[in-house]
Amino acid sequence: MKHILDRLYKVSRNAVCASVLMVSAAASAQSGPDYDDILAGFADPERWLTYSGDYSGKRHSPLTQITPDNVDQLRPVWTFQTGTTTRGRGFETTPLADDGILYVTGSNNYAWAIDARSGRAFWSYRRNLPSDLTYGASAPVNRGFGMLGDRLFMVTLDAHLMAFDRRSGDVLWERELADYQVGYSATLAPLVLDNKVIVGISGGEYRTRGFIDAFDPVSGERLWRFNTIPGPGEPGSETWPDDPEILASGGGGTWMNGSYDPELDLLYWGVGNPNPDYYGDLRPGDNLYSNSLVALDPDTGELQWHYQFTPHDLNDWDSNHMPVLADIDWKGEPRKVVMVGNRNGFFYVLDRVTGELLLGKPFTATTWAREIGEDGRPIVLNDGSQGCVPDPWGSTNFMPPTFYPGLDLFILTARETCATFIPEVPANTPGQSNFGGTVHIDAEQGSGALRALDVHTGELVWEFTYPSPTFGGVLSTASGLVFAGDHEGNFMAFNAETGENLWHYQTGSRIWGAAAMTFMLDGRQMVLIASGTTLTAFALPE
Amino acid sequence: MALLPMLLLVSSPALLAQTVNPLEGDPRAAFAGGALFRAQCATCHGADAKGISSIDAPDLTLMWSQRQLSAQDVFDTIRNGIAGSIMPPHDFTDTEIWMLVSHLQNVAVAGVIGLPDGDAANGQRLFARHCAECHRVRGEGGSLGPDLSTITARRSLESLLISVRDPSALIAPGYKPLTVITGSGETVQGVLKSEDAFSLQMMDSNQRLRGFRKQQLRSLERPQQSLMPVFSESLLGQQELIDILNFLDRN
Repeated sequence: MKHILDRLYKVSRNAVCASVLMVSAAASAQSGPDYDDILAGFADPERWLTYSGDYSGKRHSPLTQITPDNVDQLRPVWTFQTGTTTRGRGFETTPLADDGILYVTGSNNYAWAIDARSGRAFWSYRRNLPSDLTYGASAPVNRGFGMLGDRLFMVTLDAHLMAFDRRSGDVLWERELADYQVGYSATLAPLVLDNKVIVGISGGEYRTRGFIDAFDPVSGERLWRFNTIPGPGEPGSETWPDDPEILASGGGGTWMNGSYDPELDLLYWGVGNPNPDYYGDLRPGDNLYSNSLVALDPDTGELQWHYQFTPHDLNDWDSNHMPVLADIDWKGEPRKVVMVGNRNGFFYVLDRVTGELLLGKPFTATTWAREIGEDGRPIVLNDGSQGCVPDPWGSTNFMPPTFYPGLDLFILTARETCATFIPEVPANTPGQSNFGGTVHIDAEQGSGALRALDVHTGELVWEFTYPSPTFGGVLSTASGLVFAGDHEGNFMAFNAETGENLWHYQTGSRIWGAAAMTFMLDGRQMVLIASGTTLTAFALPE
Repeated sequence: MALLPMLLLVSSPALLAQTVNPLEGDPRAAFAGGALFRAQCATCHGADAKGISSIDAPDLTLMWSQRQLSAQDVFDTIRNGIAGSIMPPHDFTDTEIWMLVSHLQNVAVAGVIGLPDGDAANGQRLFARHCAECHRVRGEGGSLGPDLSTITARRSLESLLISVRDPSALIAPGYKPLTVITGSGETVQGVLKSEDAFSLQMMDSNQRLRGFRKQQLRSLERPQQSLMPVFSESLLGQQELIDILNFLDRN
């Protein structure tokens, strides 16, 4: 653990840097947001500057113009057609909003700057991708831009990080993260900290080794790398076979965004499945830091603590979820916690200073395990070979949940599924997916629900059920509303306290991986959702 | 005349390479293709190749009969992927792809094999009397049940016999029975075509497509019994059923 004085020094240094930057921002009214603006989160109601709206990952907006009483008046204002499809996956982006302009990434590495008033594009970009993409070909998605000053940052399906000029869409620089031909890709929205752009990598279904990278936003220089699978002799390597080749291709993707606590100066990030996904005999042990939440020092990338949700995963239950940070009362004491709704079917509350497990409780009918033992490890009842555990897409997935402060509800999309895993010796061919077996999914037994959990107990407070397993993300607003999407294409609003459905709009395509965002524009609260090939903006009548 | 056989000899290998799997009939190829399929394809298409509808991965056991694909078509799809979809291109060797094609040919639903002889003309009359109100063959007939024009190429004799004698044993998606009572008190019986949390889309028993908002319904029931009547042997003798299958198989 880093010394507390280091942290205090860092906080004050940040404050000094921020005030210097603010002076330069004032000198040029055209400049985009600086680190201080992102740090301020939702303070400016006309901005949405980072993937979750702020660093905490709560996806809880303070806006209150749209209320449970008037939300039935919500109507589309415009629809933007992207012209690019991802059949089988989704349009997963969260737009960024600043000065009336939306910065949006799309599938197949398209990107746009869009007039938030009209839905018309200022510029568009399409990356000329190689024809032999590996993982990027099967999941050609992107979740959004990161932004700092006049720069936008986007990762690509051929595993690069790019910087753009936000006004022209011109490419400023690009850096290779890893060799896509081995199986790497990148899909997340870069997380911008103070003079750092943090990114993760996709490709855990291939013979890859996951990492989290930090880059200098101006020069594009790589500042550090944290490898999610340790090297030989490094801490954590004792949870793997003593074989450099296995470690070098142990998976552990980092393809979903992380969150950041500026006070503790800690970065929180989820790590994906070990490789091969379903065949564990080649990798006896817990396989750290796969299926874990890691807390890193953002200056160095050094690991501060970790918690592994699914030791020795055999079911492709990546822990690539949005870590949600909140300060709550915990049994009479104020506590800094991080919350995760996990693909393995459990909802977790951890102390985010120390990584101590406070609560782990199932939120679906998962038969994999029903409780966490005294030692903090799951008591596994069924590894999947005996049938009917959550499918490889999980009890939930990367679609962002929301935390509603005050109500202390963690609201997430739950998937009830039934799968049997059939492991097989894998071929271990670089450049080819390497699942190590197959899955039989009983489609008749699938359903979905929006579920609100009491974060103190993990108990279900309310739910709204869907006919099929769903991938839509969730947003809440301080007026007592929850916005969610479903697999049948509905974009919906609910009463946050009761779960009562108050409004819905059929977007025409499943809402897959995307969560809504909201901001004020000319005195009107806008709510945006990506679905299929379209981005639609909603507002109350003028 | 002497030129023609020569031309055929020269051109036939190329012609064959474009249409026929060179490994066809080799059981080792199908076996190896099966292993490759389970490692590389099954996550989307399922271990049984029957597809996963939630991610638009199609049932590959039905593609040959439903879509009349050639081996070369399937080869090309594996090689090139499907642009704009989750199906990626693959850099397998040609031999590996042909092994996959062999496996897929192997698991393809073979349809009716060993159909006993029957009187197809009598089958046609019986079909018109018992089946055509709900089922269509070559463009003639109803829509409440599945189109049976190619059914003998897609389902085994055993499963077809079960579907006639015990129609509720397996009801295909799109034909699940449904009974609703509307806000105005009308009882509507039919089959469910689609639904979401707020609405349902059905075909009523008069074969009219109808959409309802769930909140405007007084009740919504999902009976386990198929709308198709049970055709016991007293209603439709075994030879009569064979006659109908002969009529269908002639298509």
